[in-house]
Amino acid sequence: MKTLNIGRDFSLDPAGRFFSDEGDNGEKFRENFLKPAIQALKPDEKLHIILDDGVESYGSSFLSEGFAGMVKYGYISSQNLLEKIVIDYSDADFEFYKNKIITYIKNSKFKEEEYKPTRSKES
Amino acid sequence: MKKLSKKQRLLDVKTAILHRHKEKEKDNKKNASSSNKRWVGRNDEIDVLINKGLSISLSKNRDLTINLPEEMNFSKKYDETILYIIAIRRLAATIANPYKAYRLKSVNFNRLKKISTSAALVLTAELSKWDDATRQRLRPMTDNWDADILKKFIDLGFFDLFKTPPNISSNNSPSTLPRSDLVRYIKGRCGEAKKTRELKDELIKIVGDPIDKWMFLRGGLDEAITNVSHHAYPDNGMISENNKNWYLTGSYNGSSKELKIVFYDQGIGIPKSLPASKIWERALEVLSLFPAGERKLDEVLLKAAVELDRTSTNKSDRGKGLQDMLEFIRQRREGYLSILSSRGLYKLSVSNGKELVKSEHFDDPISGTLIIWSATLQN
Repeated sequence: MKTLNIGRDFSLDPAGRFFSDEGDNGEKFRENFLKPAIQALKPDEKLHIILDDGVESYGSSFLSEGFAGMVKYGYISSQNLLEKIVIDYSDADFEFYKNKIITYIKNSKFKEEEYKPTRSKES
Repeated sequence: MKKLSKKQRLLDVKTAILHRHKEKEKDNKKNASSSNKRWVGRNDEIDVLINKGLSISLSKNRDLTINLPEEMNFSKKYDETILYIIAIRRLAATIANPYKAYRLKSVNFNRLKKISTSAALVLTAELSKWDDATRQRLRPMTDNWDADILKKFIDLGFFDLFKTPPNISSNNSPSTLPRSDLVRYIKGRCGEAKKTRELKDELIKIVGDPIDKWMFLRGGLDEAITNVSHHAYPDNGMISENNKNWYLTGSYNGSSKELKIVFYDQGIGIPKSLPASKIWERALEVLSLFPAGERKLDEVLLKAAVELDRTSTNKSDRGKGLQDMLEFIRQRREGYLSILSSRGLYKLSVSNGKELVKSEHFDDPISGTLIIWSATLQN
């Protein structure tokens, strides 16, 4: 199992939806971290995602763009994505965000939109 | 076709030049009249505010001093408090200043005895905008300020705004006053969510303990900042990049144990930004539940924007941010969240887990969006 620790690997302050929002936003997380990590998994391998290692919180904009965007832009189906990720946390209050991620992924429509970057991926 | 004579050619040139001059004169008259309209309109607006009770002193027929009232508070004295905020915003805006146009000379704090955390933040933000417009040439004169007010504004970091420091007399020296429980204001731009950590650290110092359910407040603040970059300041060239700011502070009253967090942006407001947003179609679905005559009211548009994610049948990944802002109060099962935007108020109060929503209409708008979280700490 591979691990993506959001606080250590990505940012202690993930917030915002698009590259154009500046900071460590959902689009940047999806394009530069989550998508490559999912694509690098072997068949039947899972991605262990740690939510709360130093991260204070998440806004809906970050979570929906970062996670549900994988389905919305047609990178993976919602069922496949949910099968490939294991969401973990040590602070019990983070269950709230785990549930949100799962709901957003489930409600997202596969390939609903064509992905157009709001800024270069190197941002 | 006939070849023009020299005489006819000269006549045509003269006519063309004359015509060109007339057009230019017409343009000049048009520009002068539109600039005229701007300052006359602004003077009229200020006169209306004066008739409503705005206290000013006028010198040289155009130099205005705004005399702040004894108390400024958006929840108890909204109608009076907002007059002063609007007047400062209107007068601070740079327009061509013909001889008769009102000019903001100073803002007099001498009468001010009480100010709420949110009014102090909004006043600071508006004076910061004015200072920017004058290329930071303002200088605070604090000699006759009330000592508590002076202390409050020192703690808020108000004087950090000015390049020229105030001359604080020894009678009002901050060292002789008790510590106030107000966090120095934080000014941020789009994408600067990590600045909210400063607020948390400062509040923990004041309260003395971690704040239960803070993570939900942080999520709400992150969304407030995202909303600033998506909606508050549209990219239509009307607002300069330097003015696309948000302001944040917090306070804790040790005797009542009330914690207050205040966030303010000076943008176009939620009701005005809603029709141009990607959630407008879903908002229309929610608005259809209201009587037709009420659908354009700011408080109704605001309520629709907040309750969109809960009430719309169309599940989209947009429009969830305002619901995030309610979560801190919901998770704590007590307190309130107020959102004041343009002429509307949306207030969610929670007591023992029971929720009550209130909407209100204001005659005079707040120029932006003000978000206030209030909770009583039990420690």
